Amino acid sequence: MKGKTWLFWGGLIAAAGAVLFQTSYDVQDLEEKLAGLNRKIVTEQESIQVLRAEWSYLNDPAKLEELARAHLALQPTEARQFVALDSLPMRPAQAPDAAPQPLPLPGRGVNPALPASVVPVAARAPSAPAPIATARLAAPVPAQAPQPVNTARVPAPTPKLSMDKALEKTPVIVPAALPVAPTVKSAPIKPSTLIPAAAKAPPAPAPAAPVAAPAPTAAPQPVPAALPPGKMAPNAPLPPMNRPTDIANRPIPPAPSAGKTQASAPQPKATDSLGLLVARLGANR
Amino acid sequence: MTLPPPGQLLRRVFAALTHRSKPSATAAMEQTRYRLMVTAAVVTTVFSAIGVKLVIATLFSHGGEPRQHHALELDTTTTNRADIIDRNGNLLATSLVTQSLYADPKLISRPDEAARKLVSALPELDYKEVYGKLSGDKRFVWLKRNLTPRQQYAVHRLGIPGMSFEREERRFYPAGNLTSHIVGFTGVDNNGLAGLEQGFSKRLNEDPATPLQLSIDLRLQHVLRKELIATIQEFRAIGAAGIVFDVRTGEVMAMTSLPDFDPQDPTGLNPETLFNRATLGVYEMGSTFKIFNSALALDSGKIRVTDTFDAVHPIKIGRFTINDYHSLRRALTVAEVFQHSSNLGSVRMAQVVGIAAQRAFMAKMGFTRPTALELPESGWPLVPNPWREVNSMTISFGHGISVSPMHTVAAAASVINGGVFHPPTILLRQPGAPIPGEQVVSRQTSDMMRRMFRFVVTEGTGKSAGVKGYVVGGKTGTADKQKGRHYQKNSRMSSFLGAFPMHDPRYIVYVLIDEPQATAKTYGYATGGWVAAPAVGRIIKQIGPLLDVPTVDESAPEILSATYLNAAGSTNWAQQPPNTPTAAAPNPPKGSTVASVPAPAKTR
Repeated sequence: MKGKTWLFWGGLIAAAGAVLFQTSYDVQDLEEKLAGLNRKIVTEQESIQVLRAEWSYLNDPAKLEELARAHLALQPTEARQFVALDSLPMRPAQAPDAAPQPLPLPGRGVNPALPASVVPVAARAPSAPAPIATARLAAPVPAQAPQPVNTARVPAPTPKLSMDKALEKTPVIVPAALPVAPTVKSAPIKPSTLIPAAAKAPPAPAPAAPVAAPAPTAAPQPVPAALPPGKMAPNAPLPPMNRPTDIANRPIPPAPSAGKTQASAPQPKATDSLGLLVARLGANR
Repeated sequence: MTLPPPGQLLRRVFAALTHRSKPSATAAMEQTRYRLMVTAAVVTTVFSAIGVKLVIATLFSHGGEPRQHHALELDTTTTNRADIIDRNGNLLATSLVTQSLYADPKLISRPDEAARKLVSALPELDYKEVYGKLSGDKRFVWLKRNLTPRQQYAVHRLGIPGMSFEREERRFYPAGNLTSHIVGFTGVDNNGLAGLEQGFSKRLNEDPATPLQLSIDLRLQHVLRKELIATIQEFRAIGAAGIVFDVRTGEVMAMTSLPDFDPQDPTGLNPETLFNRATLGVYEMGSTFKIFNSALALDSGKIRVTDTFDAVHPIKIGRFTINDYHSLRRALTVAEVFQHSSNLGSVRMAQVVGIAAQRAFMAKMGFTRPTALELPESGWPLVPNPWREVNSMTISFGHGISVSPMHTVAAAASVINGGVFHPPTILLRQPGAPIPGEQVVSRQTSDMMRRMFRFVVTEGTGKSAGVKGYVVGGKTGTADKQKGRHYQKNSRMSSFLGAFPMHDPRYIVYVLIDEPQATAKTYGYATGGWVAAPAVGRIIKQIGPLLDVPTVDESAPEILSATYLNAAGSTNWAQQPPNTPTAAAPNPPKGSTVASVPAPAKTR
């Protein structure tokens, strides 16, 4: 009995001791791990700091401006390129049973209800050879005319064209107090018409669609087909520039010019960056 | 075998020990019992103390001794000095941890080999110098300070015994020259020596985790500096200063002083280069001061904008004769005095108001003490003392008092923003925090001053500052520089203080060019309207979109009704024939033709 009691207590003490030692070593391990992690975190923080400094250094506005001038076809924004949201026309509500009537749009928006022949060619299809485009556009519209269903006369994408045209052609500032009469003026010759057709985006194959399928649903299609070149007009007045960035204009950029740009503009390589930093840390001289 | 209870056992032992002294057995027993009591008490106390300590140590002390390692807290930095960032969070100054290489020459067995290896890894070191250091008798020599991680790696790879690294910090300015006059620079041991580094040195060191956010916008700063450099080059000027100022909050959005310097290496520079013209330099502002003279005149209630003043006869006082730069030889209204920048009219206006009122007004505008700007480089204005009649006269057109450009801009902001003077600050104002301000002129005066500003740009001396869509207003200024006791004829300070949009002013753009030389393009003029105004126009054109200022039609009725003023002092634009408000007509650019941005391709 006595021996068993001793054995019991002795075993308990030994077990407690073992567990205690084990825990102690575990804790020690974890502490070491923690210290290692802390060291790592500090190192990481320091490298993050270095990278942030380098990022800021490479984002120097003067440098960015130089790069943008060399590689982008963008110019500083001008006041006339801003349009107040209030001066934009609302999208006209769809009126399925209403009689087709001219959509009152401010500015010189293209009136969709007019026959296509009235609409100035330049405003419509600046990219394609003009007479052909007009003929193609004009063709489905008279075919539509005798149809009794009015819905086909107000197709959904047509107002979209007007929105875009209005957006593009409204004077930059339309004071809300002076509503512009919805008159169709003859649009001035757009710069895009002056650009050789080769310098532009290839016309979409869509104009062929109405010819192939003169169904009423296909009728609005020629209009969106005229859209991409029209939308490109404000951004594409740079035909004669041999820039590798003008990919839209030139599917295959000429190799020598690309090489020249590469050579002339000092491109910071990923491996160079710390060297640049060295250069900046002037005390190393 | 059973043991008797401990008390009984002890008693037996004691009894055996004390057996011999029979006669005093009872006394001995008493004594023994007493001793036992004491011993038991001591033992009980000690053991209960140990027990209490055990309980405290195990249950109440959260697991024993304090730990050696703690997890790092979030949002801490490893550096000892806080970053400085601009209002968009771009770094302007930061501390980088670098390693500095030192050696203990005693531990280096073959100095020639070690030096050769080291020079191969760090080519910028000199072999002889390194060899000399390594073969010396010292126990510590610096070999190279502030190595980059790459260099440190290269030296590590060599594995030269006796060389070690010491962790150091180094201040780094990613924006470089762009913000040099604002941020300043630090010395070798990272104590601030100029600019904000000096002004906020304590704050930067005490709270290294929170970056110091400025109200500066790096983009505006770039535009401002670029245009100033272009203007300096065009007019072969010796320096320039520029400020973009938010009139509603008093924040400085951009501030440049040229020439500037590389804050990384500010030693050995001309003191002129380190001089901040925008805040430390005090200058006679010239006609720009007519802003304050006109505001004073209108605010006094004694003068209305339609009143006329004689601008024909020169004023003689003492040995001075005050004359107009280009006289119109007739009486001018207040609006025309401002439009043509007439000295005579200004003097006569100041005479009507009186010396005391002028002095009080200039004090209210902050022209008698340094500005509230946080930079340590804040100049004391040079104010005449005593303030005599002749001083009053010259101050009316901006001579005889010297203030810094920052003074002028902060005061002009209060004149056009509705009359509230906000102390200028270069720190970002926290959103929602109240903006300190003091009403210095009435709203009506401020409204009239806006119209006068606009009038100068539509039909006055500042036409070339106009930018379509942004309703620019402003005032030109040209001051002859004083050399010794005399004014120089051909060295002047040309400035333009522009504000936009004038129907609801938000920003002031101020440009001061030091000693511009006239060019053929400006027909021999180097005045504010020819030199500084075009620069302001170009700056506004570029920063307007960045500042999100909506463009408006300048001939729209609501804009005209807020900004119109004609030479007679009438603000009723509707009375004019429709073609008279020429605000919207594009003025052919006058003066400077240097554009830092190439003109867009003219395809439309």
